[in-house]
Amino acid sequence: MDALIKEFRAAYAAERGNDLAKTLTPDLTESPDRLLAIWNSGGPQSIKDDLKFLFFRDKSAQLRMSREEGEGWQEIYFTYWKALGEILAVEGRRKDGAKSSWTKVYEAWKEFTSQIIRGYTNHDFENWTIPCLYVAGRYMRLYAIRADAERSANGGADDAVTNFQDDFDPETEKHKSLEDCARQLNRIFNTCLSDRAPLAESRKWGIYYAINLLFKTYFKLNSASLSKNVLKVLSAGRGDMPDFDSFPKSQRVTFKYYEGVLAFLEENYVEAEKHLTLAWQMCHRDATRNLELILTYLIPCHLLTTHTLPSAKLLEPFPRLQKLFLKLAVAIKEGDLRAFDQALTDGEDEFVKRRIYLTLERGRDIALRNLLRKVFLAGGFAEAKEGEAPVRRTRVPVAEFSAAMKLSGGEELDADEVECLLANMIYKNLMKGYIAHERGIVVLSKNGAFPGTGV
Amino acid sequence: MSWTSSVPPPPGAAYGYSQSAYPSQLPYFPPSPVSGSLPVALDTSSPSPQHPHLGLTADANRTLQLATTAFTPVPVRTGGFGQPFAQPPHPNLYAAPANPPQTVNAASAPGSTQHQHPQSEQKIDWPDSVRSYVQRSFETKNLIPGVSREEMQTKLKETISHARDSGIMYTTDWDNMPLPQVLVQSERLQALTGFGRIGGVADAMERAQSQPTSKKRKSSDLSESNPMTPGRSLKGPSLQDRISQPSSDQSSGMDAPLSAKSKFQKQAEKRQRRFDGGYKSTYRSPSPPPSTGPVVGTCTDLEKRYLRLTSAPKASMVRPEHVLHQTLDLLKKKWRKESNYNYICDQFKSLRQDLTVQRIRNDFTVSVYEIHARIALEKGDLGEYNQCQTQLRALYAMGLKGNPVEFKAYRILYFIHTANRTALNDAIADLTTADKEERAIKHALNVRSALALGNYHRFFQLYLDVPNMGAYLMDMFVKRERLAALANMCKAYKPDLKLRYITEELAFESDAEAAQFIIDQNGQELLQEREDSIIFLAGNAKFLFETARSEAFRRVDLKGQI
Repeated sequence: MDALIKEFRAAYAAERGNDLAKTLTPDLTESPDRLLAIWNSGGPQSIKDDLKFLFFRDKSAQLRMSREEGEGWQEIYFTYWKALGEILAVEGRRKDGAKSSWTKVYEAWKEFTSQIIRGYTNHDFENWTIPCLYVAGRYMRLYAIRADAERSANGGADDAVTNFQDDFDPETEKHKSLEDCARQLNRIFNTCLSDRAPLAESRKWGIYYAINLLFKTYFKLNSASLSKNVLKVLSAGRGDMPDFDSFPKSQRVTFKYYEGVLAFLEENYVEAEKHLTLAWQMCHRDATRNLELILTYLIPCHLLTTHTLPSAKLLEPFPRLQKLFLKLAVAIKEGDLRAFDQALTDGEDEFVKRRIYLTLERGRDIALRNLLRKVFLAGGFAEAKEGEAPVRRTRVPVAEFSAAMKLSGGEELDADEVECLLANMIYKNLMKGYIAHERGIVVLSKNGAFPGTGV
Repeated sequence: MSWTSSVPPPPGAAYGYSQSAYPSQLPYFPPSPVSGSLPVALDTSSPSPQHPHLGLTADANRTLQLATTAFTPVPVRTGGFGQPFAQPPHPNLYAAPANPPQTVNAASAPGSTQHQHPQSEQKIDWPDSVRSYVQRSFETKNLIPGVSREEMQTKLKETISHARDSGIMYTTDWDNMPLPQVLVQSERLQALTGFGRIGGVADAMERAQSQPTSKKRKSSDLSESNPMTPGRSLKGPSLQDRISQPSSDQSSGMDAPLSAKSKFQKQAEKRQRRFDGGYKSTYRSPSPPPSTGPVVGTCTDLEKRYLRLTSAPKASMVRPEHVLHQTLDLLKKKWRKESNYNYICDQFKSLRQDLTVQRIRNDFTVSVYEIHARIALEKGDLGEYNQCQTQLRALYAMGLKGNPVEFKAYRILYFIHTANRTALNDAIADLTTADKEERAIKHALNVRSALALGNYHRFFQLYLDVPNMGAYLMDMFVKRERLAALANMCKAYKPDLKLRYITEELAFESDAEAAQFIIDQNGQELLQEREDSIIFLAGNAKFLFETARSEAFRRVDLKGQI
């Protein structure tokens, strides 16, 4: 304990938040022996006494810290010590061979987290210490996920009915700890948000870290829509917030990514494209996985907003994305309906998992547009009037389109359905012109029958 | 033209739906046999009469028979709650409401299960679980101050003999059965708070005999002055009911003596009463310590009003599974006979609640939710429907039997209606490869993709041929899709279209209906009569339908969304 508090003092004296947070890490992979030593340095009572001594009576320490704040830290280290006990036990590292469960670890860590939050609300912690909140939140989420997994592996311990709902809630039972964790993270978020201190000393600097953790949790809980509330609160308080650009880049990239995906899920593709593009530009070029994630949503966005497809070169560094999108892109480009349908079916499971299936499906419109455009081009030119540039044949019988669709899609469509699909093209501005139903022909615009494609 | 055959004339059905759009069978109730464990004599001979209910077909009638026959000999109370049934007035009926031993009373009440005494003289081989239950009852640490040993013993006897008589001794979960002292205590509590049920003659007798001193309560004093009101608060209109919506039979018992008082006074007294009850309940008996397992019900009433739980459920207010089986049969029968949705929905909710608090999750649970979902669907109660659907999804995921294909298909259609893309995505993610080959699911997926690609032609063809009860769901969004299609057509077609073409493409039942639809959108100028037909001037519509379309899509009803 002595050594730990010495580290604390050093970090505290230098006001280095990250170093301070390091003294509170529960990560066993880094220095298991160190954590074990901390745990073994005494029983609950002696640890309490030690901490009291170290924070209040130790003459060798020269920390300028109010009694209030000292009490806060003392409590934090005590709960940290307790949580370490559970963590070491669940990993089977304790010398006394004690066992534990992830649920217990989660509860212990939650208490630790509450203690840190209390530090800000009751013990006047300064804002440079926020990295401690980060450590707390980050591991709390991990432990919650493990606790849930552990419970479901054990066949879901049915504990007593705690709520009086008429129906059981399958989601709650599956994600009990994580849902609880989301509430705790929300507390962290509010702790950061509600600080009214001047910006230089405000906890608002912690807000994006907290939000990103919350988003991550909400997505995992399958309730991404809850993130919207966070965004609402954020935009309401935007005036009092530090400039977005002055936050660390890593936090900005993550935030923009989530903001983009949220807009994407709401089918607001223009907005989504904006955020995702920002994320894409800021993302570190070696963060392949993150780049891949951003592209997973950015590519479908582009397909719908600008009807553009990823080039082979763009996809080159991402074999996984190639597998996802390449076949589809080729089919769209060729106007090959059958290939498109096949590619969509082949990738369906993965697309659905990534929530891009319903978006990609709309790419069929573009494939169809390209096919119809081919028909139009194949129609050649009408007889040019003397002295004028030749004009393409703009009156195309529905039957010609029908034949093309049959060839490309492999299934026979009746004339009404073909007309319906043509009407759609016109309605969506993918094709300009009109259908003369009685005569069975499509009259295409003389200038730009297929907007944006050069004809 | 082929249109006459594909668009049949309106069949004049009560609901005004096109026959072709509706399934010829509405399988409300799965034809599963009624639980064989019921000790009720089965009268299998009497076939039920054909009921003129929409979609009641041979298949459904078969289940109706089962439903009816499972329950014939029991005179069922009809018409809701607190209804009087034959019961001789007892002078002391309301004198001593404290401590009614309900478990047994309810079982021997004439209204529920009258059939179980013949074997009571036999030698009984007591199961170990019962022995240990008895043992536990007498353990000092389990004694509750205020409940005397005699009371406890009486209760214990009652409980066990009831279990023996009704043949549930071997099925009862004795390890989780509340101890007799706890039962006594909770019954007292109920009597005090007005949750007590008066099950019938035996009940009333016992009530009169049991405790001479009563914890005073206004309603009992009142009723003493008016002992001849036989039906009052027979089986539980709860406290809340009585406070918020006194029904006619209650008013005879409770409000009549007060009739001279002002409304305000009455309310004040009611408030006082509520206060008394609430106060005593917390003061006299701290709620029993939470038992380790879920509650096991002991209530044998078939019907129970739905009340949202605000505290841990009491065993005496909860019906065990075998009773719930009978309840379901009764409800099925009543639904066919009376089609009173408010009543049925209320009953199903309490049924679901009883299942939940006892944590019963089995094939029976599935059938309860399925039936409620179908009824809610027919009545357009999407909120309830969605609750059932959410449960069903989880229940199927547990591997329970039921009709997952049918409901997975509904689920897709439902999320199309609510335009919930995230949920729709999840619904698709739930499907297995085998699921996707099922007709109903294939149909729902096709509906989805037709809409996603704006293929209204295919969409309306799918609308004309919906498996199961999917048409009820499709009806919810067919109007907005018609608007969308018209918006589409008006932009794409020039100069005009025959009205008949619209009728066919958008699956209207007749030209008249199509014309009416257009006129309803203020599109009368777009209709023009020519020599041989009516023409729709698509090219002149401008943004008429476009505006209506975006309006319709904005108002997606999200009621009951979780």
